[in-house]
Amino acid sequence: MRCRPVLFAFLFSQGLWAATLHRGLGPEPDSLDIHQAQGLSAINLLREIREGLTSYDAAGNIVPGVAASWQVLDKGKTYRFELRDNARWSNGDAVTAHDFIRGWHRALSPATLARTASLLTPVVNAGEVMVGKVKATAIGIQALSVSTLEIKLTMATPWFPEILAHPVSFPLHADAIEQPNQAPVNGAFVVDKMTMHALIRLRKNPHFHAAGSVALDGIDYLPIEDPHAELSRYRAGELDMTETIPAGRHDWLQTYLGDELRISPYIGSFWLGLNLGREPFADNNNLRRALSLAIDRSVIARLVVGAGELPAWSIVPPGIDGYSAREFAGSELDSEARLLTAKELYLKAGYSEDKPLRTELRYNTSSQHRKIALAVSSMWRQVLGVQTQLLNEEWKVFVNSRRQGVVTQVFRGGWIADYADPASFLDLFRSDNELNTTFYKDKTFDLLMDQAAAMDGAARLAQLQRAEVHLMQDMPVIPLYFYVSRHLLKPTVSGYQPNIRDIHLSRYMGVKSTKP
Amino acid sequence: MLRHSLRRLLGLIPTLLMLITVAFFMMRVAPGGPFDSEKSLPPEIEANLNAKYHLDDPLLKQYFHYLGQVAVLDFGPSFQYKDWTVNELIAQGFPVSMTVGVLAMSLAFIVGTLLGIAAALRQNTRIDYSLMGVAMLGISIPNFVIAPILILVLAVYAGWLPAGGWDGGFASMVLPVLTLALPATAYIARLTRGSMIEVLHSNFIRTARAKGLPESVVIRRHALRPVLLPVISFMGPAMAGMISGSVVIERIFSIPGLGSYFVQGALNRDYTLVMGVVILYGVLIILLNFVVDLIYAWLNPKIRYDETS
Repeated sequence: MRCRPVLFAFLFSQGLWAATLHRGLGPEPDSLDIHQAQGLSAINLLREIREGLTSYDAAGNIVPGVAASWQVLDKGKTYRFELRDNARWSNGDAVTAHDFIRGWHRALSPATLARTASLLTPVVNAGEVMVGKVKATAIGIQALSVSTLEIKLTMATPWFPEILAHPVSFPLHADAIEQPNQAPVNGAFVVDKMTMHALIRLRKNPHFHAAGSVALDGIDYLPIEDPHAELSRYRAGELDMTETIPAGRHDWLQTYLGDELRISPYIGSFWLGLNLGREPFADNNNLRRALSLAIDRSVIARLVVGAGELPAWSIVPPGIDGYSAREFAGSELDSEARLLTAKELYLKAGYSEDKPLRTELRYNTSSQHRKIALAVSSMWRQVLGVQTQLLNEEWKVFVNSRRQGVVTQVFRGGWIADYADPASFLDLFRSDNELNTTFYKDKTFDLLMDQAAAMDGAARLAQLQRAEVHLMQDMPVIPLYFYVSRHLLKPTVSGYQPNIRDIHLSRYMGVKSTKP
Repeated sequence: MLRHSLRRLLGLIPTLLMLITVAFFMMRVAPGGPFDSEKSLPPEIEANLNAKYHLDDPLLKQYFHYLGQVAVLDFGPSFQYKDWTVNELIAQGFPVSMTVGVLAMSLAFIVGTLLGIAAALRQNTRIDYSLMGVAMLGISIPNFVIAPILILVLAVYAGWLPAGGWDGGFASMVLPVLTLALPATAYIARLTRGSMIEVLHSNFIRTARAKGLPESVVIRRHALRPVLLPVISFMGPAMAGMISGSVVIERIFSIPGLGSYFVQGALNRDYTLVMGVVILYGVLIILLNFVVDLIYAWLNPKIRYDETS
């Protein structure tokens, strides 16, 4: 009996009883430097080991992070943050306002070549610093004291607190300027061991300000590129939670793993873009609407992509706080009326069975995109007699074709939002947005967006809704479906809450028993 | 012999130079660049990036700059994995790929030759037919079909082995090595069988038998060496392919090897990474072919690499 404590101590030291969560990460992270990371897997990992002024709760809502609280002054153009007095780096140093300033200077310095720095452009002078026009010290961020930070924006940006939860705005320890990946971190976990393409082992950071509430002792993140491989490893008991599920396996998983399959709405939309900069879609609203009405979204969502995606008649996905889905042109029609209207519009647009529309549908190489393109082109052929040529291009070629707009007609498009706000989607269609690959230029729409930007609260959202309705009448894109997030989750895992941002920080999770 | 070896090794240089030149310009001719993405970068930042990686120089200047780097074995930073240089990526991935490749090739060689000899000695019997039938299956069923079946049976249902991953331990090697070895085993078995049947009908074997030697001695001492000749010439290039990593095996078993860098690197226009892997692969092929030639000379007394040959 006496040897029991010794045995316990031994087992514990061997990690047998430590609570370790085994999570799939998706592809190998491209960098763990907060200013170089671009990929989703890298961003997710950085959120586990670091923290910004704001952070996320278990349900994906924005909550105070390093900042204990903040005031919004000057009609939304000034933010004043009070930092927590117990915010610590993993070596025990206090996190100060100067650590944020150090991080931001590096983020925006042209020499850093930070790929995501443009997220900080609402901040005064950030854009100018980024391109080297003014010195980094001119950025609108200032330490009023060691624990008080003031940030000035050029205009009110309602989603700004969410930008502060993105790694590009995180603080940097003084040691980080030399060795960004070796320096102390300030998140709930620290990196213990990293083997490329195999394992990223995190252990709990005892200096984290909420360390007392973190149930896990560590996380084994497995970077697995191939969703089929991830599924095998989940089924073999090597993973407690997957990053995604393989395409086309939804029904099988639903049948055999039922409750373990977690599907929920996500802030992403898939659409087909129409190039309004050239024929045949420029100045032919009837044609664009006819093509849209001829597509049966429920078939695309349920049978072609088939992982619980939601049919879409608009751009902004459901689930964003305060922004309710409205009826958009076409969604109210039953299928018979829809097809009839499509045919009428097609004739009005100047096409007929004898004089069919010939067009090209371009997508980036992926079996899923090919299936969607095939389904859409056959619907167009059956309903309207449109002759569609399918063209696939490698991603790097495709993004250039789409941006230049010289060869594109119909093309695969879509958007996954950086922040959960309707403007993240709708801004894409402003005349001057460089991501506007449809080349839609409409004064009314721009005006509605400008007006919305000058408002706040519910009035702003209502105005954005008007802009979206207007956009959908002009139809520069044909929305097909809204994305969903997909995970497999063992019943032993606690603390998971589905959310529209699909951000699940492990600091809120627990796992009942783990394999040795 | 020494002179021959030296000459062969020096011959490596022009071959590699050709390889580097062709690969370098082919990569650059491909449309799209390493920094193209959906959200385009501010032009100033893109210009800085191009300057950092010397992409704003004229192509010829870039080429000679690259050659200068390669001469001192510096393959440069990776475009995709920004925390790593290509040298570091290869240093991490190559040992893994090599371990899997060497084990798989050894397994394939031992099992393949044994099966092939067994089939040849019992030519046109049931044993022969069933062995060659299985070998034919091994060649024709692709490994992306075999691998998931092995995972399903041995990892998911039985739970004997991990379904993927790499910790350097024996258990995590079994399935990838087995999958990679299967087609090569089958191929070697067929080669050995054909070669053995041919050799057994040749004159020197008839002489050996006529001397009254027991059959086992005839096989071991006289037949085995010439039988292995075609197998060895197959193994050289096959070995280079195996130890530089298999994309399929690496994806299915999530192994941190080199194979996926080829495809991912090319798709991401990660110029330096692709070039690094291409050069490594080229060196391996040339070296292994050289080794094959040496083994050939040892196995076949008719071949000697001297001044007059």
